[in-house]
Amino acid sequence: MKKTIIQGLITLILFFSAWFALTRIDWITVFKVKKVTDKTEEKLGELFLAIFQKNEVEVKNPLIINSIDSIVSKICTANKLDREFIKVHLLNKDEINAFALPNGHLMIYSGLILNSDNQEELSGVICHEIAHIELNHVMKKLVKEIGLSALISMTAGNGGTEIIKETAKMLSSSAFDRNLEQTADIKAVDYLIKSKINPEPFANFLFKLSSKENEVTKYMTWINTHPDSKERAEYIIEYSKDKKANFEAVLTNDTWFKMNEELRVLK
Amino acid sequence: MITTAKFSYEPSEHEAEKASNSYLMSLIAIIAGLPLPIINLISTFIFYLGNRKGTYFVRWHCTQALLSQLSMLFINSYGFWWTVSIIFTEETITSKYIAYVITAFVFNLTEFIATIYTAIKTRKGIHVEWWFYGSLTNLICKSK
Repeated sequence: MKKTIIQGLITLILFFSAWFALTRIDWITVFKVKKVTDKTEEKLGELFLAIFQKNEVEVKNPLIINSIDSIVSKICTANKLDREFIKVHLLNKDEINAFALPNGHLMIYSGLILNSDNQEELSGVICHEIAHIELNHVMKKLVKEIGLSALISMTAGNGGTEIIKETAKMLSSSAFDRNLEQTADIKAVDYLIKSKINPEPFANFLFKLSSKENEVTKYMTWINTHPDSKERAEYIIEYSKDKKANFEAVLTNDTWFKMNEELRVLK
Repeated sequence: MITTAKFSYEPSEHEAEKASNSYLMSLIAIIAGLPLPIINLISTFIFYLGNRKGTYFVRWHCTQALLSQLSMLFINSYGFWWTVSIIFTEETITSKYIAYVITAFVFNLTEFIATIYTAIKTRKGIHVEWWFYGSLTNLICKSK
């Protein structure tokens, strides 16, 4: 009996130690798994970006672009994120919306900036989208919704423009599942606090827009696609409660107003 | 890992064939059951049920084949569902997963080779006891 137990234990230990020893090797690099998925992601990012650039007007105003870049750079530096990877594109559109595309493309609609009362609100939404990028939610969603094989065939040019268009639309106008949204919200609060940006306005923004929901829902894509805004605002407040820091503004008030003015002119 | 021991009596030609078949059963089932780890176990189990009233030598080897399949079921099922979750959920391929697949493959291969070896030996009427499974079978399977 004793012999059997010992032999059984040794077999178990052998199995787990073999598994453990093998996990020490970076198989992802050995098998170039990452390289393949990276290439797919890169290509998909280009495909979807091209669709938005074709159908919408990209804002090129240096003051506006530089201001948003300053916010993104501040968030990236404070959180040790790769700034080069996040590529911000500002599109001139009334919709209150921002979303992430594969390969770190962050799309912001001018409607979002114009409807943010202050830079902290905008920074909150940016952080939320950066969190989606950093946590690889975009690719996860794509794989889940349309499957890896369809994605790879898309990058090989066999996808058909209609499917690519539909997928791009899905990325811009539908939310991730509840779990991923909540993780992104919490991560966004962490990013904001590390960047010394007050997370409270981000919660207020959600609250404000959710109460406006009955008035004009047409333009509030970001809120419509992100359900339970009130609940989200509540847990953001709850999570950031005991995380006080010395908050400081990234842009001067003057720059923020100027940027808004110039955006209004572009409309 | 594998030891040939003297059995309590000399098995007849007929017994040796049946005992050897219990191992062959799991080998054949591998072909059909590769994607579904439970198939091997089911086939060995059916064979075991059919022979549990057989002679001691046959019973003993049916039990050893069944026990080895049972532990493989745990290893393979875990790997199987892990793979399913990678394909259908948000799980991604990690080094941990690849390491598991390799480990599971090595264990399966060892078991596969041992099964072939044992099937050949038992066919000749030689009694083969596996590491751990042999002594476990000795505990479970008694000569009436």
